[in-house]
Amino acid sequence: MLRYIVRRVLWGIALLFLVSAVIFLIFYVFPNADPAKLRAGRQANPQVIASIREQLGLSDPIWQQFLRYMTQVFTPFDWFGASLHGGTGPLNFGNSFQSNTPVKEIILDRLPATALLVAGAVVFWLLMGLPTGIISAIKRRTLLDRVTMVTSLAFISAPVFWLGLVALYLFADDVGLIHIFPGQASYLDADSFLAKCWSLFLPWLVLAAATAAIYARYLRSSMIDVMSEDYIRTARAKGVGESSVIMRHGVRSAITPIVTLLGLDIGLLLAGNAILTESVFNIPGVGHEIVTAIHRSDLPLIQGIVLFGAFFIVIFNLIVDIAYAYLDPRVRYQ
Amino acid sequence: MRLTRLRLLLPALLVAALAVALSSCGGGGDNTTGGEESAGIPSEFKAPTAAPDNAAEGGTLTVLNEGDIDYMDPGAAYYQVTYELTLATQRSLMGWPPDATQPEPDLADGQPQVSDDGKTITFKIRSGVKYSPPVDREVKSQDVKYAIERSLLSGVPNGYTRAYLADIEGFAQAEQQLKQDKTTAPEISGIETPDDQTLVINLTRSSSVPVIQALSLPVSAPVPEEYAKQYDAESPSTYGQYVTFTGPYMVQNDCDIKVDTADHTAEAQNSDCSGKLTGYKPGKEIELVRNPNWDGEATGDYRPAYLDAVTVQEGFADPTSASQKILTGDSQVSGDFPPSKTIVQEVATGNKYTPDQMVAVPSGGNRYIALNVTKPPFDDIDVRKAVIANSDRTALRNTRGGELFGPVATHFIPPLIPGFEEAGGIQGPDLDFVKNPDGDPAVAKKYMEKAGFKSGKCEGSDCDVTMVGDDAPPGFDTATVFKNQLEELGFSVDFQPVSHDIMYTKFCSVPAQEPNVCPNVGWIKDFNDPQSILQVPFSGDSINPSNNSNWPQLDDPAINKAISSAVTITDEKQRAEAWAKIDDQVTALAPAVPWVWDNDVLVRSEDVNGVANLFNGEWDLAYTSVSK
Repeated sequence: MLRYIVRRVLWGIALLFLVSAVIFLIFYVFPNADPAKLRAGRQANPQVIASIREQLGLSDPIWQQFLRYMTQVFTPFDWFGASLHGGTGPLNFGNSFQSNTPVKEIILDRLPATALLVAGAVVFWLLMGLPTGIISAIKRRTLLDRVTMVTSLAFISAPVFWLGLVALYLFADDVGLIHIFPGQASYLDADSFLAKCWSLFLPWLVLAAATAAIYARYLRSSMIDVMSEDYIRTARAKGVGESSVIMRHGVRSAITPIVTLLGLDIGLLLAGNAILTESVFNIPGVGHEIVTAIHRSDLPLIQGIVLFGAFFIVIFNLIVDIAYAYLDPRVRYQ
Repeated sequence: MRLTRLRLLLPALLVAALAVALSSCGGGGDNTTGGEESAGIPSEFKAPTAAPDNAAEGGTLTVLNEGDIDYMDPGAAYYQVTYELTLATQRSLMGWPPDATQPEPDLADGQPQVSDDGKTITFKIRSGVKYSPPVDREVKSQDVKYAIERSLLSGVPNGYTRAYLADIEGFAQAEQQLKQDKTTAPEISGIETPDDQTLVINLTRSSSVPVIQALSLPVSAPVPEEYAKQYDAESPSTYGQYVTFTGPYMVQNDCDIKVDTADHTAEAQNSDCSGKLTGYKPGKEIELVRNPNWDGEATGDYRPAYLDAVTVQEGFADPTSASQKILTGDSQVSGDFPPSKTIVQEVATGNKYTPDQMVAVPSGGNRYIALNVTKPPFDDIDVRKAVIANSDRTALRNTRGGELFGPVATHFIPPLIPGFEEAGGIQGPDLDFVKNPDGDPAVAKKYMEKAGFKSGKCEGSDCDVTMVGDDAPPGFDTATVFKNQLEELGFSVDFQPVSHDIMYTKFCSVPAQEPNVCPNVGWIKDFNDPQSILQVPFSGDSINPSNNSNWPQLDDPAINKAISSAVTITDEKQRAEAWAKIDDQVTALAPAVPWVWDNDVLVRSEDVNGVANLFNGEWDLAYTSVSK
């Protein structure tokens, strides 16, 4: 197992390197706003723009910029002019072209909001999705099953942005019809951890809705397959109680695809996929920040957030794979 | 009439009344009290520009913004929304009380003395003005000199110093110095500081008027060299993370300023601090607190500063829900976004919200559609006149939200700017192709025939035009409406929508790449002088190979000469007349389709006594208060 983990970590680092290279290529190949011109402002003359381009390190060859960035992220060395453009590393992601604030500072400032949003949403979608999937599988083809599956289809189809706005207009305590939950930007107003959690209640529900529905459908399908297996029949024949049959034998086998999904979903959301929820509820998270960075062609910020995101996806996938080994005795790693 | 029917009709009547009121507005009015009428703003939506008599001290105001300011560094700040902060946190040499249409002394102790030849300007600096913690010392004239000099550094990307202050003696030499040393602010020999309270500016020509106006912008906010030099030495400058303030408010920093809400004073809790701004989180939030070292009464500051704190929250992507939050909430105001059309209607009709929660302020800006005069088909003036004549400029204006968002433009100087009335006011110059705001196909046909198109419509390969515009509303809507109007006249339009920043940096502001039409451009005044509206957008001398803002690429020798000469006029009346004539000349050459003089529409919570500043068209944080 240890060898497996080490191998996966090394592959993860290689993947981060590759992701960074792709981002660099995209930035230079596809049309984007020129960050030096944006920074220079209206009516800047060519000399000023050239000077700003040099300051930002954009006048160096692309390969040099890329290697400098990798050096700053992964090593403490002053190679490729690292000290002249943002300083040495490790874990130095450079400064935002727009605000000149260290990218690490911006990401660490934004990450808690996204992390809390994702954590709460995960709890909700597991609490909603798993029991729904199990009960639907057990009560297959009953009215309850049909109602839950149609409802889940509705939540899967509804765009998150729309769902969020509807939720605000119905339940927000400032603009809603029924004043129950904190509304837009209440996260910014919250002082304590509990206040922040309460401010995210509606965003949690919105973000969890579609995912819970997907998980319910997946688990239902998986449970139906598992519950028809021979060993389930054997367990019943041996006199094992029905709840034990379902939970210890059925769910334990059926849940492995859900674990895979969970790892991917958490990684993707931490990488910025919660952008729509963050925008609707004005939660100052990572997703929100990367959209602004893309509009402003703020390469260091884009790079930094993408790298963080890739890191989370790699880590959570590794956690998921390790969890498999414990959940499913049939899985063993060489 | 039955009561139920009357109730149903009442909103419609109110909207109709609003339309009538708006359509009957226009023409006349001077630049102070009548300005808002000439900007098409009915009296019930006129923004208060003075605090009420019962304004109370205390409270925290929240400003809701969609985006961020451009720069916290006053040397680089060049955005109306950023001025909302700098007007409350920095004391420039000249400043803008809310109802001022000309700059008034702020850091300067009285109006500047200008020599008879208009080439020497002398400012006296007020005593007792102190920097916020941790700098804490009194402001000196040398600090203003340093502030102007550091704005030449490319690490401090100032967008207007070169445009307005290049006539200062020694400016060109200072720019040369920068080639040797890019991280030290160069010396501008024409700025002298004979003592700590005196600043003398020597000019190469008598352009004192625009120079004094430009010194009302944040570039003249003092910067202590001994404190800022270390940050300016970095590339780019990091002073923006350590700014020190002289106004009634400051951005919270690591000195940990605590405000006593009982007596409305403030004190630094941590004396061992570097001045790093902890209250500015780019794209997220800005926290303003009272400046412990500000004494408005002792230093002759006109700002009353009622609030104890201001929080700017950013990231509100949906203007409708954000506006609703403000209108139904407490102690909030809108920042950089206008309310949506739905909200405007709801507030105007009074059904859901109180109408006085919404106000409009002339922004001092215009919007126009630039026609590239350097290549066919718009190198032909008759074709350009035909396009303008054919344009339904009312429809273009309505893509922004309707009448409250500004009157249909007929020339380029906006209301409240000297020269507006002299250039024809709302009605505009006596030119047939701009007379009808809804478009005049007959006049358009006449000009197309004059251009050689006997059918009255464009024919031939020159009529295939490219247009690069915004990919998001309302800019996208404006571009689409104009595209349809061009096609009515026989043009074949290849419209390429791109993001706003790409539109400028890759296409419209790069003459070599510029398409035939740039539909989403415009200009906002830098200060209340017509030079700041006309010079950069229409002078041939300002055409740049990149970051160009003369989008039509107009380079007319007569206009260039007139502009060069008008810059040096010091008499107010003569200046207004000269620039109005230039406005007429530009309009007559038809390089662009002027379609609106923008109004800024602002909303506030019911408990906010909002005061708007006519200079930047935003709420004035140093005059606004909250009811207790």
